[in-house]
Amino acid sequence: MFDHKTLNKYKAIENKMYQVLDNEGKVILKDWKPDLSNAEIVQAYKDLLFERTVDLMAVSYQRQGRMFTYPPNLGQEAIHIAAGKVIRMEDWLVPAFRELGAWLAKGVSLWEIFLYFKGNEEGSKFINAPRMLPIAVPIASQLLHATGIAYAMKYNKENSAVFGFVGDGGTSEGDFHEALNFAAVWNAPVVFVIQNNQFAISVPLKMQTKSINLAVKGLAYDVPSVLVDGNDFFAMHDVLSYARKQALESGTPFLIEARTYRQGAHTTSDDPTRYRSKEEEEEWALKDPVQRLKGYLVRQGLWNPGQEDELIAGFKKAIDAEFEKAENFREYELDSVFDYMYHDLPDELKKQKNEYQNYLKLAKGGVK
Amino acid sequence: MRFMFKFPDIGEGLEEGKIIEWYVDKGQNISSGEPVVKMETDKVVTDIPSPKSGIVAARFGAVGETVHVGNVLIEIDIASISGNEAQAEARKEPKKTASETVAEKGFGVVGTIEVAGDGAYLPVSEEGTLPQEEKPGSLRKVLSTPVARAMAKELGLEINSIPGTGPAGRVTKKDVSSFHAKRAYLDETVSPTSAPESPQISIEKVPLSQIRKTIAKNMLRAKQNAAHMTVMDEVEVSELVKLRTMLKGKYQDKGISISYLPFVIKALTLALKEYPVLNAELDLEGGNIIYKHYYNLGIAVDTPEGLVVPVIRNADRKSIIELAQELASISEKAKQRKLNLEDLRDGTFSITSYGSIGGYYAVPVINYPQVAIFGIGKLTEKPVVKDGQIVVGHMLPISMSVDHRIVDGGEVARFLNTVLGYLQNPVSMLVQ
Repeated sequence: MFDHKTLNKYKAIENKMYQVLDNEGKVILKDWKPDLSNAEIVQAYKDLLFERTVDLMAVSYQRQGRMFTYPPNLGQEAIHIAAGKVIRMEDWLVPAFRELGAWLAKGVSLWEIFLYFKGNEEGSKFINAPRMLPIAVPIASQLLHATGIAYAMKYNKENSAVFGFVGDGGTSEGDFHEALNFAAVWNAPVVFVIQNNQFAISVPLKMQTKSINLAVKGLAYDVPSVLVDGNDFFAMHDVLSYARKQALESGTPFLIEARTYRQGAHTTSDDPTRYRSKEEEEEWALKDPVQRLKGYLVRQGLWNPGQEDELIAGFKKAIDAEFEKAENFREYELDSVFDYMYHDLPDELKKQKNEYQNYLKLAKGGVK
Repeated sequence: MRFMFKFPDIGEGLEEGKIIEWYVDKGQNISSGEPVVKMETDKVVTDIPSPKSGIVAARFGAVGETVHVGNVLIEIDIASISGNEAQAEARKEPKKTASETVAEKGFGVVGTIEVAGDGAYLPVSEEGTLPQEEKPGSLRKVLSTPVARAMAKELGLEINSIPGTGPAGRVTKKDVSSFHAKRAYLDETVSPTSAPESPQISIEKVPLSQIRKTIAKNMLRAKQNAAHMTVMDEVEVSELVKLRTMLKGKYQDKGISISYLPFVIKALTLALKEYPVLNAELDLEGGNIIYKHYYNLGIAVDTPEGLVVPVIRNADRKSIIELAQELASISEKAKQRKLNLEDLRDGTFSITSYGSIGGYYAVPVINYPQVAIFGIGKLTEKPVVKDGQIVVGHMLPISMSVDHRIVDGGEVARFLNTVLGYLQNPVSMLVQ
């Protein structure tokens, strides 16, 4: 349970981090009980495994030349699965680009995500995921949308929350601060989640900010802010639930710094071995979110690790099928790239379109 | 059925990668998703997994080799995969009549959509693009960088008439200079009446000769490593002219032609002994200056193929006549391209007598890792003031470049005073 008292205890300014499980999956808080059923916790673990399997396969598809790019989620899954459990149909999900498990929980289909990273804009439709914005690659701009949506909901007297995601690098952007400030002065129900995975591409956190942590950045705007162990599913679930409750009850914003580690590359175009050490990676591997929840389940007698291989094999088949669906999706029409911005195409775009048409004529096996 | 797995663009706009390790051999079974090869690219070192299951029918490229995006990595025999799957594979590919091979679709990434398929290329010229609807002197608003605008103005070009290749058709510095070059070429070669609709510059590609390559490499090495500084001066050499004229006449019958160069060499070797740092070499890594107690003077010789610098060994121990003979011999060898490596190596100081062709002053490039090069300009008669009178003097301009990392201006000036002193008063060389 996370409540007002806990919030007072885990003061961001004192750099205290809310954590439930240790590295082995043992509960370290006295008198703590999960507010999820055993079946829900087991399902959450399966979701963690699923996200991880998708991730590994997505990187492989990209390396096979079947997908343009991909930002791996490896190591950050607990944040996504916990958020997925907390975010309801009537809530808004405003993503950055590394929250795979949360998107899936919201109703996004895997083939849509693959389609998006194959460069087809129809992958952004999210047919079965109402109230989710498209993936936002520009840094922190999405948080202004989150605040705006929350303000609109308040105006419409809707009783739900907006969940806006950003990375550690995004907290250095003006948009982050504007979004927090407006959410505070307007009393807009936004839950801001910073996934602090220690690196803004290759820029380490200590080069990013002199603040003792990122949660303190909310205090200046009088937004309740807390630092949470982002590799701890229960800790994330507790705080996100509390934040949502606050948003609904008092219509106020909340800031969570989820401290985690990006075990993979920034995207498939990045090579982290060039800017961080093996020792650092090994240290964080001990805090792996999947291993920690698994430790808890095994300890509670809720999980038999022997069943995992079979489960993952099933996942892989399902993921392959989703990928093939994306591969067989109709190609976009060239016109659709040029049609919507201008009534009369400017010369430069006319030239580009003409060039591209000529190129397609020459390129056998190009974009259909 | 063969599937050709081509090296995909796994980065954003990647062009090539180096093979680090092969994981599969010819004849081996492979499943989709299994690693084929480890590649190093500009951005990452990564495993490339196979997109198909089957038997590796062929493998291309050795470890350490560079592979371009779109080149085939392996051929996979997917005939063995069964039933529906195989039919599905077959359906995916366009029908080909001549060949059984199946080409993988190339992929770029977000932002680039180049496909490295067979014969695919992006036109680099403006062929195939819509003609720009351009009226002469049209007053359309042109996007351009300030530096490009300034440059166009300077060259007297109308910025509106320059096609831009930058973002949103922005005219860049490069556009201005290439437009200018194009126009300058056309002005030269095309009569106004026959000006073609879309002018094409005709160019010719000639492979570099070995000697040109070597010169290019050496010059670049010198300019990148040495901190060049050049001092220029001139010296009145009437006495030297007299002496040379006298000796020239005397040795003409013996078939020895005496130029001014042997005297310059003599003066330089004498001065180098006084200023040893100019006959040295910098060993920056070891933290040493290496002084050379031998005086091998490189003489820059202009040949039709390019510049060569044969060396006169132990020039300090040779007489004016010996130097003259050796100069004649090396320049003859150079012109006949008969110099061998032995003639070219171990120089400690170089001389370039560009003035024999033309030019008063120059900024010669050091023959790296030597410390200095002495340039001799064109000897001319000029009015000079001597004892308050204007008289005709024989003026020899000189330009000397040094590596400022090793030697400072003061030392160079003192060295030059000594050399020029000898040249002004050649008899003083006899005393040494």
